[in-house]
Amino acid sequence: MRKLLTSILLILALTLTFAACDPAPANDPPAANNPTTNDTPAPSNNTTNETPATPAETPVTPAETTPITGAINVISREDGSGTRGAFVELFDVRIENAEGRKVDDIRQDSDIQNSTGQVLTAVQGNKQAIGYISLGSLDNTVKALKIEGVDATPENVLNGTYSIARPFNIVTNSNSVLSEAAQDFMNFIMSDEGQAIIKAEKYISQGSTGAYTMSSASGTVKVEGSSSISPLMEKIKEAYEAINSNIKIEIQTNDSGRGVTATVEGSCDIGMVSREVRAEEVEQGLDVTAICIDGIAVIVNVDNPLSDVTKADIKEIYQDGGSITRWEEIG
Amino acid sequence: MYNTNETTLKIRALREAAMKILFTIAACVSILAVLLICVFIFANGIPAIAEIGVTKFLFGRTWKPNADIYGIFPMIIGSLYATAGAIVVGVPIGILMAIFMARFCPKSIYKIIKPFVELLAGIPSVVYGFLGIRILVPLIHSFFPEEKSGSGLLAASIMLGIMILPTIINVSESAIRAVPENYYEGSLALGATHERSVFFTVVPAARSGILASVILGVGRAIGETMAVIWVAGNAPIVPKGLMSSVRTMTSNVVLEMGYATGLHRDALIGTAVVLFVFILIINLCFSAIKRGTK
Repeated sequence: MRKLLTSILLILALTLTFAACDPAPANDPPAANNPTTNDTPAPSNNTTNETPATPAETPVTPAETTPITGAINVISREDGSGTRGAFVELFDVRIENAEGRKVDDIRQDSDIQNSTGQVLTAVQGNKQAIGYISLGSLDNTVKALKIEGVDATPENVLNGTYSIARPFNIVTNSNSVLSEAAQDFMNFIMSDEGQAIIKAEKYISQGSTGAYTMSSASGTVKVEGSSSISPLMEKIKEAYEAINSNIKIEIQTNDSGRGVTATVEGSCDIGMVSREVRAEEVEQGLDVTAICIDGIAVIVNVDNPLSDVTKADIKEIYQDGGSITRWEEIG
Repeated sequence: MYNTNETTLKIRALREAAMKILFTIAACVSILAVLLICVFIFANGIPAIAEIGVTKFLFGRTWKPNADIYGIFPMIIGSLYATAGAIVVGVPIGILMAIFMARFCPKSIYKIIKPFVELLAGIPSVVYGFLGIRILVPLIHSFFPEEKSGSGLLAASIMLGIMILPTIINVSESAIRAVPENYYEGSLALGATHERSVFFTVVPAARSGILASVILGVGRAIGETMAVIWVAGNAPIVPKGLMSSVRTMTSNVVLEMGYATGLHRDALIGTAVVLFVFILIINLCFSAIKRGTK
């Protein structure tokens, strides 16, 4: 008798637990395959239990009547992250240090998440949160803010109106002749096949040079540099080596700066630089090729009525000692 | 007949020798692993700490790798706070649970509870972390709507408190069960109730085992990483309150190791050195207490 009772109690407890857990993962709408669909920040597919009164298909407008208030939960990436580096540069969240070099100056008390996925989860779970991710990783579980009135879409990055974007560059040494093997690999990256991989990885292609034709070259190509580009480069390498087995690609991952130095020194054939290549770096003897563009989206919770911010707002939100710490202070 | 006996003896001796070697190798592998870890961590970490400066490294309040400022004081304090929080949350629940399971629980319930506790120990920490950020953090935020988010020291403490429960429950329970039955019977014979006997005779007699369970729990809490990263906020600041963001030493290493190069990377290994020393101290305490019981 007692056994029966405990079993019933346990089953009840379990069902309750599951019932409590269920709504959270269940309201994740499936990630959009096409990033172009993300520019509409309408919380139309939002069926969370926080807004039970609003029907599922409500447009954004009624929500905007009640502006968001409260402390801003600033979410950033860890030091050294390529996305953080680009974000800091694009919004100029920097300070000059003693040597006159501009260094990262993101709020010391901002929350740190060490992957795009964790930033997304954190923003999804908190109405007061703000974060930033690579445009390619954006899905409709969060809302991308317009910057200076411009939607964060790949089209707007391509036509230059959305300025929060950085090029993925590859650099080669202009003082020495590029090996045939390296030239062949570069041809592949810029070809239809190479750019198709770039698009599949959700980066923004600036067009391709036509179908890839294999050369007779063989050997090893050393590629070194930015950790932001290397995951993409690995994918390109896989596809390339499947087509052309005569050439081996060796990828070394560290950072953009190292990619530049290694190319100038000649210790690698191709350097990866996930930012604009500086003029003084080009002067050292570099040829620069942009293989694609990566946009950065500033994201907030889908229940956040805010839709448009200025670059200055973002800087004040993120900079250490910046003037905006509460949502009502924006604008 | 005599011949065969000799061969079997020979084979037996050979097998004996082979097994001896096998066991020695097995023992050596674990010792070698520990030694290698020590050598690697200290060889990489100590020079970095020396380059930064011991006091600057240990007591520096700013961690800004981009500006070449490496002070891990906030992380040391963060680890200590989070661990202390875990003890406050986990120890009372764990010990009371262990007492219940050892002395009050009917057999039929015990059969159900015990596997659940063991399952709790087997759940990967990432799962705890995910549960934490999806359920615990929003829940805490709903209690403190004025705060910017629910993640921080409180969430990390509760998370860690739950995670050290199985360690505390299992070790404490076996410690309580190891108390000779005549302690309990003697207490009953003197007229004490069941509850009184358990709480004032059996439990005090098992205190060194219970203390050992707490120390093991501390070891687990201070070394835990994944679950903490999800819920702690991870800002490298000295926490100002329960709702303040906190970064532990383990989080610091895991968060930044992926991209770190040069001195930044060595400073992270230096953080691991400090963590290693903490774990060493905890293990020494543990063996000291164990020796005390004998």
